[in-house]
Amino acid sequence: LSLMALRLRLKNSFCHSFDAPVLTSSISEVINLFLGSPDAHVKPQFLDSEVQDILTRITGLNLEKVFRPIKQELKPPKYKLMTDAQLEEATQSAREQAQRLLKMPPVLPERKPINDVLSEDKILEGMDTAKYVFTDITFNIPHRERFIVIREPTGTLRKASWEERDRILQVYFPKEGRRLTAPPVFKEENLKVVFGQDRHEDMLDLCQVQFEPDSSEYIRVHAATYEDLEKMGKYDLLRSTRHFGGLVWYLVNARRVDGLMIDMLQKDLLQDAVSLVGLFNKVHPHSETAQEASSQQAYGLDLLKIYAKRESQRAGYVELALQAYEQTSAESTV
Amino acid sequence: MGIMTYTVVLYNYKRVYLNMVHLSSFLLKTYHGGHIVIRLAMAGHKQSNRPFYRIVAAYNKRARDSKYIEQLGSYDPLPNIYNEKLVSINSDRIKYWMGCGAHPTKPVAKLLGLAGFFPLHPMTVTETERHRALAELAEEAAPEDGVKQQQL
Repeated sequence: LSLMALRLRLKNSFCHSFDAPVLTSSISEVINLFLGSPDAHVKPQFLDSEVQDILTRITGLNLEKVFRPIKQELKPPKYKLMTDAQLEEATQSAREQAQRLLKMPPVLPERKPINDVLSEDKILEGMDTAKYVFTDITFNIPHRERFIVIREPTGTLRKASWEERDRILQVYFPKEGRRLTAPPVFKEENLKVVFGQDRHEDMLDLCQVQFEPDSSEYIRVHAATYEDLEKMGKYDLLRSTRHFGGLVWYLVNARRVDGLMIDMLQKDLLQDAVSLVGLFNKVHPHSETAQEASSQQAYGLDLLKIYAKRESQRAGYVELALQAYEQTSAESTV
Repeated sequence: MGIMTYTVVLYNYKRVYLNMVHLSSFLLKTYHGGHIVIRLAMAGHKQSNRPFYRIVAAYNKRARDSKYIEQLGSYDPLPNIYNEKLVSINSDRIKYWMGCGAHPTKPVAKLLGLAGFFPLHPMTVTETERHRALAELAEEAAPEDGVKQQQL
């Protein structure tokens, strides 16, 4: 590890604090308590502590990739003379910094459209050909609670829709890197070009900057990126980035974990594969895999075998990979 | 050493050296018989053909565009590409100044009435009716012109 090559990533994407409401760490447990009966099971949410633990473990921590040189202002490099102990300390702090950089952006359900009409004033019809947009610029209100109302030429006073809100908040409270109109990269045809160049991570970062996490555009772009990654099998592109958790969550919810499983087995990441199956069982507790696993109290390789038998569409491939792994581990011990 | 002196930079960039005793008279200028108003002040350069207003709390006696006490918002009278006229209102501070006894002017009262912050201004309704009457007159004139052109 050469410390000279380690340069801190610009925190561009992290200047944006997520304005989404902060969910408690184990929301499903809270809801379970609320519902009363222990049998009623609520689906685990993305932001549960257990789910987040599994996802962080699967994401991995490749320091070289996290701190790779990125495009920034040209400065002469700084050289430091360090003892071994100091190098250890510096590596440790770099690791912590990387963990903070790998914090996952939230996965939220799509926001419901706003259709609130505050007043209908027919007497004002025809007063003007343009709409009036009134924004409340009081400093201490969170952006989600701000009043943005529109007076139409027909006289109705209505609340602004989500897209209008985003645009007008960007006018009065601009966020760095966000543009008033979405860049044309986010159209379908242009997305395909970008994916052809293997720039999924940049795309996701750009999407993070431009859209709110619960807007339809954000969800659409993320879905398109994940679909393309899954089709091409290029999971490694996102492996040590903060988007990997989102990818895994999407695949687990769509029950299409085969490609990822095979990729992990080929790269000899057995622990990750086991955690993946564990997560799958948590999210889909009524599937055959989960029920068999809970009845047999399976761990480790057995979980994988159950998964290969029951759920996977490419069962043969998974079993082959498992056998190959067992062989190599047997040879290495012998 | 002696008493501490403070340096104050005035709005015309002159530096003045003061003791504590003198600071207050520079900051609290009152006008005889004046009051505070909330009004629209034209912002931006005077030679451009592009109006833009700031909603501002200022002394009544001051010039329209000169020093104000606090900016409370903005108003852009020209519509943008989405056909919107953008108005921003700092409701918290407007409530404060209204509480201190500031008077809004007619245009500001109309804007705030349209926003729903104030009740609707009666002149807005009257103006709309006048506008509609004019539009109807223009419509009646236009078909007559069209008929005349056909005859010719």
